[in-house]
Amino acid sequence: MALYPDYPIRTERLLLRPFTRGDVDAVFAYRRREDVARYLFDVALSREECALAVQQRISQVALEAEGDKIILAVELAESGALIGEVSLIWRSVDARQGEVGWIFDPQYHGHGYATEAANAMLDLAFGPGDIHRVAARCDVRNEASWRLMERLGMRREAHFREHALFKSQWDEEFIYALLWQEWRALRAG
Amino acid sequence: MSSLSLPIGTDRLILRTFERADLDALAAYHTLPSMQRYVFSRTRDVAEVAGALNIMRSHVSLQRPGDTLTLAMTRQGDKKLVGHVSLHWSDATAGQGEVRFCINPAHAGQGYCREAVGAVFDLAFDHFRIHRVFMRSDGRNHHSIKLMQQLGMRLEAHYREHALFQGEWDEELHFAILDREWQRSAKVSDLPPRHRVA
Repeated sequence: MALYPDYPIRTERLLLRPFTRGDVDAVFAYRRREDVARYLFDVALSREECALAVQQRISQVALEAEGDKIILAVELAESGALIGEVSLIWRSVDARQGEVGWIFDPQYHGHGYATEAANAMLDLAFGPGDIHRVAARCDVRNEASWRLMERLGMRREAHFREHALFKSQWDEEFIYALLWQEWRALRAG
Repeated sequence: MSSLSLPIGTDRLILRTFERADLDALAAYHTLPSMQRYVFSRTRDVAEVAGALNIMRSHVSLQRPGDTLTLAMTRQGDKKLVGHVSLHWSDATAGQGEVRFCINPAHAGQGYCREAVGAVFDLAFDHFRIHRVFMRSDGRNHHSIKLMQQLGMRLEAHYREHALFQGEWDEELHFAILDREWQRSAKVSDLPPRHRVA
C-alpha cells in the first residue's frame, strides 16, 4: 500500500527527516570522499552534483508507485548534525518487495547510528509499509555494510561472482534479505 | 566469431534447431501440468505449443545480446525428441548467459539433460566466449537442482518469497559457473558434415 510517513521519524538518538536545500554542504562533506564512493554506483561527487542529489531527495519522501524511493537525512538528535542517509525503495507492489540502503559519513562510524537508522527503516517498511520482504545489497569487499546487514538480522541470500561489471572490474555482490515474519520474531524477542 | 556449426552430437544425442514437424513430440511434454509449473510461457494445448514452437524455431543463433539459441534434444538412434535446451545471451559487456532446459518426463532420469546442458556449456564458453553461465530453478525442483550440482555449478542465490509465481510465494535458486571453472568433456564433438540435417 502507498506509504506517506509522518516526519520526522525519531529513534533513541536520531532523527530521520526529508532532505532540505540547506543540507548540501553536510552531504558534500562525505560524498566528496573516495572511500565513501568506492562501493556506490556514483563516483565521488562535486559540490554541484551534491546540490543536484539533495534536490532530488527533497521530494523522495513517499511510496506511491513501484520504483518510488524514500530517502531520508539522518540527524543526531542532540546536535542536529547530518551524519548520512537511509533509503527504502519499493521494488514490487504485487509481491510487496522493498530494498533498503544507506550511506554514512565515516566521521560518525562506530557508534551504531547506521544500525539504529536502518532498523527504523525496516520498521517503516514492515509496519506501515506492509512490505513482505526487504532486501539489501553490497559489494562483497564492503564488510562494514554486510556486517550491518547481519546485525539487522538479515540473511545472506545471494553471493554473485563476476555476474556484471562494476566500475570496469568484475563485480562480486552479496544480497541479504529479511521476511516480514522474521522481522516480527526479531521485534518480539 | 566463427559461424555456429550445427547440429551438435553428444554421446547419445543430436542437438539441432527446431522444425515444424516437432510440434506433436514437443506438445507431448510441453502441455503437461508438471511442466507448466516451471516454464515461462503458458502452453496448455497444441495451439499454444505451436506458438511457442514458432518462437523456438527462430532461436537459431546468438547475434546480439538478448538473443536465444534453442536446441532440440533428439536421440541418435530413433531421432526421437526427448526435450530441449536453450542458451540466452543476457549481457554482452559482462559476457553473461543463461541456460534453461526441459525434458519429457517419459525420458527423464537417463542423463540426457546433463549431456545436453554440458554440450551447451561447451558452446557458451568455447564458441560464444561467454564468461559466466547461470541457471535458475524453483526451490522444489529437486531433479533440476541435482543436475546443476552434478555439472559443478555453484549455488549463488537462494531467494525466498522474493516474488509471486503463479499465485504463490516463489522460492528460487541461482546456480552459476565461470568459464575457468567448467570442466570440458572430451566426449563432446561436432558431428561430421554428412550427419548434418539439411
